[in-house]
Amino acid sequence: MRHALQCLVLLTSLTSASAQALDVLDGRLQLHGFASQAVVDSSANQFFGNSQATSFDFTEIGLNTSYRIAPSVLAAAQVLVRRAGEMSDGTPSLDYGLLDLTAISNARQRLGLRLGRIKNPFGLYNETRDVPFTRPGIFLPQVIYYDKVRNLLLSYDGVMLYGDLFGESGNLSLNLGAGRSVVDENVEWAYFGADYDGDLEAQGINWGIGSLWFSTPADELKLGLSAILTEMTYDAGATSPLDSGTIDVFDWVASFQYNAADWTLSAEYARTPTRWNDLGPYFPFDDQVMEGYYLQGAYRLRPDLELMARYEEGFANRDSRDGWAFSALTGGITPRFDFFSKIWTLGLRWDIDPHVMFRLEYQRHDGTYALSIRENPDPNALVREWDVFAASLSVRF
Amino acid sequence: MCGGLLLNASHPAHAQDLIAHPSTGVDSLSRNEARLLFTMRVKQWPDGTPVKVFVLPDNDALHGRFVSGLLELYPYQLRRVWDRQLFSGTGQAPVTVANEHEMMERVASNPGAIGYVSGPFDPTSVRILEVR
Repeated sequence: MRHALQCLVLLTSLTSASAQALDVLDGRLQLHGFASQAVVDSSANQFFGNSQATSFDFTEIGLNTSYRIAPSVLAAAQVLVRRAGEMSDGTPSLDYGLLDLTAISNARQRLGLRLGRIKNPFGLYNETRDVPFTRPGIFLPQVIYYDKVRNLLLSYDGVMLYGDLFGESGNLSLNLGAGRSVVDENVEWAYFGADYDGDLEAQGINWGIGSLWFSTPADELKLGLSAILTEMTYDAGATSPLDSGTIDVFDWVASFQYNAADWTLSAEYARTPTRWNDLGPYFPFDDQVMEGYYLQGAYRLRPDLELMARYEEGFANRDSRDGWAFSALTGGITPRFDFFSKIWTLGLRWDIDPHVMFRLEYQRHDGTYALSIRENPDPNALVREWDVFAASLSVRF
Repeated sequence: MCGGLLLNASHPAHAQDLIAHPSTGVDSLSRNEARLLFTMRVKQWPDGTPVKVFVLPDNDALHGRFVSGLLELYPYQLRRVWDRQLFSGTGQAPVTVANEHEMMERVASNPGAIGYVSGPFDPTSVRILEVR
């Protein structure tokens, strides 16, 4: 906590001292960064730390550099430090590190290739999900952008082919990628409900992504379809109750956004068919289709002041949205409301200046599906209806 | 030639003008082309010179007028596009200058540069681009 605040103070003074000094060689070499500290308080359950007792365990710091080696070659990398309760401990990680080669680029079309660790252009927000300034609120809609298993969507190591068509009636963008996903302990917790002996890992090329976007020339309307296909392999350890097996996940989302001068309306619908294979008799689930959607409106009272309201619903099993079926599979140990979440969010964003942002947010939750099992390991301690109050201060340069 | 003769204007003062380095071999741009340049998606002029984009801060009044008047976008959209690129490693942000005076200087002295001004200026140091 103290460490995070020190960084924040340092970055604030850096950004206010000279925000423009970090473009070298007329902008060919750039250095940018951000830092954010949130405080989270909840009426029950653990959300981004020990939120019942007020949590300061949600800190995000990023530092990136990019160098345009030639007009058609860009090298870029970002290091991310993220603390998020029990889900993320602040160990610095390579968020992305890539080489971007543009083969064709003119006013009608663009075609290029990216190599390295690449962020997924999944939905409206995944690519820059850890940059507070680019999010619609302190928390992303958890029914689609699960923070409990963010690595499932976040990034991958591999290649991506991208193409754009620019026209008078709109722009069309297509991204196609393949590579290897980055599996962490949160993925294991989310899919097994525990951290069993053995490894859940990516083997070979286990990841494919495609996304297609259409936008009108001035970006009033934006429509997208993104999908990720991934297979993870579980190698059971000697003391694991499970057998070795695989998990197949197909995640897709349809995105809509409309931008007007004073307001922005966004909506997304996602579905995630998941299959667990050969994990043995002690693993209760074999397949499920997760589902999530939200409608979100943002209204700008002034260019620097924005109000946001959102309603979202998410289900662990769309064939049994009330959660009875999965609760029965656990022998009733896990309550049915752990398999859905219905969340109202109200938020306020104040851009104090172009480099400093303050946010306030309130959420009313019905259900606990959005929570991390790792943060809430005891199903008996879960509370169905709960509130979240959060505030955050973010700086950038 | 003195670069300080900014007030010796032969060009009528508009609300805002799109300007480029005099060596830029282009006289006009379509609105779409201007958007592609300012969103940093087109990075070269037709003759191959790298494009260098200069802008004023997001909360500058002239920036707001330029973005809504000439590009017909909202400043928050432009910021969103730049942030998406610069925080995902898929592109860069334009260079932000402190004021119009610096804008003039940087555009006049950098081949491939593009920017905007509101006031009268010396037409020999930069070139005006008409937006069709």
